[in-house]
Amino acid sequence: MATNDFKSLPVTVEKPIPVVYDLGNLSVFDSNVLDRNNFDSSNAKREEHLKNLTRDNTQLLINQLLSLPIKSTTDSTGGTSGQSSTMSLLRLPEPMTELPREKPLPKPKAPTKWEKFAAKKGIKAKEKSGKMVFDQASGEWVPKWGYKGSNKKLDNQWLVEVDEKVENTDKELIDPRSLNRQERLKLIKKNERQQKKNSRTA
Amino acid sequence: MIRTVKPKNARAKRALEKKEAKVVENVKQALFIPGQTSNKVLHDVMVDLSSLKKPNMKRFNKKNNIRPFEDVSGLEFLSEKNDCSLMVLSSNSKKRKNNLTFIRTFGYKIYDMIELQIAENYKLLSDFRKETFTVGLKPMMVFQGSAFDTDPAFMHVKSLFMDFFRGEVTTLQDVSGLQHIISVTIAGDYQDGETLPNVLFRVYKLKTYRSEQGGRKLPRVELSETGPRLDFKIGRIQTPTPDMVTEAMKRSKQQDIKMKKNVELDSMGDKFGRIHMGKQELQNLQTRKMKGLKSKFDQTGEDDEGDDDESFVTADDIEPAAKKPKH
Repeated sequence: MATNDFKSLPVTVEKPIPVVYDLGNLSVFDSNVLDRNNFDSSNAKREEHLKNLTRDNTQLLINQLLSLPIKSTTDSTGGTSGQSSTMSLLRLPEPMTELPREKPLPKPKAPTKWEKFAAKKGIKAKEKSGKMVFDQASGEWVPKWGYKGSNKKLDNQWLVEVDEKVENTDKELIDPRSLNRQERLKLIKKNERQQKKNSRTA
Repeated sequence: MIRTVKPKNARAKRALEKKEAKVVENVKQALFIPGQTSNKVLHDVMVDLSSLKKPNMKRFNKKNNIRPFEDVSGLEFLSEKNDCSLMVLSSNSKKRKNNLTFIRTFGYKIYDMIELQIAENYKLLSDFRKETFTVGLKPMMVFQGSAFDTDPAFMHVKSLFMDFFRGEVTTLQDVSGLQHIISVTIAGDYQDGETLPNVLFRVYKLKTYRSEQGGRKLPRVELSETGPRLDFKIGRIQTPTPDMVTEAMKRSKQQDIKMKKNVELDSMGDKFGRIHMGKQELQNLQTRKMKGLKSKFDQTGEDDEGDDDESFVTADDIEPAAKKPKH
């Protein structure tokens, strides 16, 4: 048939029982009466019947789909025609038909030892306070840790007071700057150990 | 269960992560397994069905001795090994001629099974005029017959075919991607007690023509069949256990759309937000800074000062009066 022949044909379809759409799945469900004789394998016009029935339902589905809100993009990647630089995308609603999942829902992550302890004691998570802290002496904002962090203040001092805790112990003679650094490294090691332990129990 | 070792490199780790359960799931992969008694017909049909499911599929070439309704352990193994939750197994016997068993799994355990036997009048893709559509497109689907909503066997068929072919769940669909439609029809209505009618599986390619009645927006749709053309006779069915159904139909809370407070969509699809502002204190508004505008030079306070009991005004008194003007 030539293209002109279709110009006069209708684009609407009348059905005794209105069809149900699931536009999220691009599906249409037609529960109208089907005559058994039409679909009997001895019927010569069987395929024609089937095709016409499907055509009517496809027309209904296409009419519904094309009246959905359209979003146009200039991105041509993923386009099926390849040539066009603009794509018109239909905004589909959520699928309605319930279909089984492939795998069970992912289980929530197991709480760490600290999280269990905190829940038992009713300790709330500390409020996020940010990385930067104000340094009164220099009048500038400095990071709490890391490069030029405020926890490294001691490292560059030319004179450091001996800590009361260290006084009169065997550590008294060690450079307090290196002692401070060692303490920091110890904290890192401890945190790593806790992390490993948690990942083992989870 | 397949033994899994802790991944030693990033690639193995990624591969394992891909297999893990997710909140928003990937497209279900299909696995096509020839059974021990498979034949040429079944092979050809499986090739055609798999071409509809491309690229989310795997097809085995060697025959496997699996009897799904007797022992499911082999199927469950293959499902886990290949990470496929849809399986099609072919078998042929005198009693069940040209039989395809469609199996769905949930968490690598058998969810449900249905046997569909191919009737004699099948037609393959190669039997039709070579009209093709792009591989991997999301098909449109039409289910025709009232029994798809009432009869458990047909409900199973509907759920299976939707699950099998629907492809990726998306909120945006390219208009030029609407190229083909899968039609599943019940061969006529039937009374209770009668044998179930066949299920007719057809695939058509869409052709759209500009129509005078539809205007610029709605086209006239015509179809041409591309195949495969299959008539399925329903055989044995295994339904899922109720526990499994509830588990498999669960939705996570993350997936549910949260109603955001004070955000509305109007009929045109425009988004409106309502925000609440604190009271605007014009008294404390910072205007241009200059000496003459300093608060200690405010005149409002000084006027009231005269009514006060104190006979003379000191510099100390002016300061608080200027900050809190009496009205």
